[in-house]
Amino acid sequence: MSLFIERMFNGLADGSIYALLALALVVIFRSTGQLNFAQGEIGMVGAYVVSTLTLSGWPVWMSILAAMAVGFILSAFVERVVVRPIEHRNPGAVIVALIGAFLALNQAAAMIWGVDVRGLASPFPTESDDFVRIFGAPIRIERLGIIGVLAVLVFLLYLLFNRTKVGLAMRAVANNQDSSNLVGIRVGSILLIGWGLAGAIGVLAAAMLAPSAGLSTALMLGPFLLASVAAVLGGLDSPLGAVVGGLLIGVVKAVLVGYVSFVGSESLFPVMLLVLLAVLLIRPNGLFGSATVERV
Amino acid sequence: MNLPIRVPKGGPMHRAGQLALVAVCALFVFRVITQWSNSGIGLLADALIVALAVTGVNLITGYTGQLSIGHAAFFAIGGYVSMMLVGGTVSTPFFGDDNVWSPGWTIPVAALLCFIVGAMVGLPALRLKGIYLALVTLVFVEAVREVFRFKEWAGVTGGASGLKSGKYLPPAWTPFEGRRDVNEWIMWLALALFLLCTALVTGLLHSRIGRAMVAVRDNETAAAVMGVDLSRIKTVVFGLSGAITGIAGALFGLKLGLVDPDIRFFGILGAITFLVAMFVGGAAQVWGPLVGAMFYVFVDDFARGVGESPGDSLLLGWLVGEDTKLDGLGGAVFGVLLILFARFAPLGAIGTTKTLRSRVVQVVPKPPEEQATSEPV
Repeated sequence: MSLFIERMFNGLADGSIYALLALALVVIFRSTGQLNFAQGEIGMVGAYVVSTLTLSGWPVWMSILAAMAVGFILSAFVERVVVRPIEHRNPGAVIVALIGAFLALNQAAAMIWGVDVRGLASPFPTESDDFVRIFGAPIRIERLGIIGVLAVLVFLLYLLFNRTKVGLAMRAVANNQDSSNLVGIRVGSILLIGWGLAGAIGVLAAAMLAPSAGLSTALMLGPFLLASVAAVLGGLDSPLGAVVGGLLIGVVKAVLVGYVSFVGSESLFPVMLLVLLAVLLIRPNGLFGSATVERV
Repeated sequence: MNLPIRVPKGGPMHRAGQLALVAVCALFVFRVITQWSNSGIGLLADALIVALAVTGVNLITGYTGQLSIGHAAFFAIGGYVSMMLVGGTVSTPFFGDDNVWSPGWTIPVAALLCFIVGAMVGLPALRLKGIYLALVTLVFVEAVREVFRFKEWAGVTGGASGLKSGKYLPPAWTPFEGRRDVNEWIMWLALALFLLCTALVTGLLHSRIGRAMVAVRDNETAAAVMGVDLSRIKTVVFGLSGAITGIAGALFGLKLGLVDPDIRFFGILGAITFLVAMFVGGAAQVWGPLVGAMFYVFVDDFARGVGESPGDSLLLGWLVGEDTKLDGLGGAVFGVLLILFARFAPLGAIGTTKTLRSRVVQVVPKPPEEQATSEPV
């Protein structure tokens, strides 16, 4: 039983990271209607910024906040310079441009920081005796902290979207760009803020992941894929769906690795494919996504 | 002189232009076989194999509008089928000498199997659209790769270390001999298969199915209302496109003589590569896959060289110092190139060239010939 609880919490902590990244993807999908292929790499670059700052003596939390600011600017830059000039011309070209941004960021990071795996300081206590007992199961504080970070971020996003004017404008733009423009919302600035926000969240996710996974340029490849699955599972336009989808995938992964001996961690994706198909064939727009109405 | 110049379709000017284009291509091929080194020919073979794979992607994504990031899976299946049959790791009663197949016969088997798998992947496409479908195909790639990596089936697939069944040596009737000429032989084989598949695709496009495909892409609901059987079109075209990419995968395996789950083109990067090459060449352009694949393979090779020895490139050597070794510089340059490409040639190389050309020369339908005799009414 205690092993089960421990595995659940580990799964939820992993899932929290996928949920963070999926939230970032959802924020961008709502504003631009695109899957941001460069999302993971923006986070990865941010994690390297955290590493550089902590090595030069900054406290970890300060470094993470500073790196999130860098991620905000980087992501807004990608929107303004890479995506916006071609957005209305050809959806295929946007995919190529975002894949180009993915490649450029990934390889630029290798250029600046090298290809060797390095460690990253965790913002939480990580000594071997830093755990609390929940129903007798030892849960590491780092794991609980990651889940807590997700909870705080979801609360802040809720406040932003539902209690502020910027949030209202962001929801309006997500709903209908042309109408928003007509009622005087600066759509361009709102898009920049949305992408920037997603970039900052992506950096947060990477900074939570890197201490346990090891920081390298390949840090976000796997998590990005799982986060995309999470976002699609929950519905690409639903922040709630992203959180549920992320946590679900974290738990499914933990259960598979822990209990199904012939599956194990190396056969995660065949199962993910089945889960994805099972959900999407019943609800083609994800668990919480809104169905598109077709007009003829 | 008035621009654009209007050239009647099928007229002498039009034919001369087409002839010039064919002549340039023939010259290129001639130069390649007489001048290029073995590694250059190997690179060209890679480009043709990728072009064939991209032809499959173009069929389903370019013409039918179903975004697939999953074609690396068919590529991997094709490669594994050829290596499994050549290596004799699967039991095939009635076929093969002691389960060991002659390499050439594995290509049609790979095509058939990928057709079946492709039609099955096409089933979710009946219900899913756009990014949702794309993500399912993307997960499919990783799923297939993990199945090939699966420990328990290592006797068949080789597990994590893969299979080394040997290259496709040129048969006796060809002018090539032995291991030395493998690249050249595969290059010609890939060229022949690429031209064959392109001809098939062109034929398909002018058929009932082809028109239905384009109708599904442009407006699915309208197509259904007009009587297009959506489920049949989607499954059949997914199957065909999977088969074409599977042939490319089989060729790839036969060229390398080995497969393992970590091969670049078998994973997500491969899937993305095929999609990017399709868009770079030009979606829904018959020769787009060739141009996109050439761009990808040669620029990638160039970029790799840049990263390893910047001194070889004059400009970069001057910029960063001749002895500096920069990990990732080539890849970063490639990424920026893609961004610029999307910005300035959003319709792909062929699409944008056609748009630019139409400002100078336009091919117009032949003017109706004047009727020699007027029939009495």
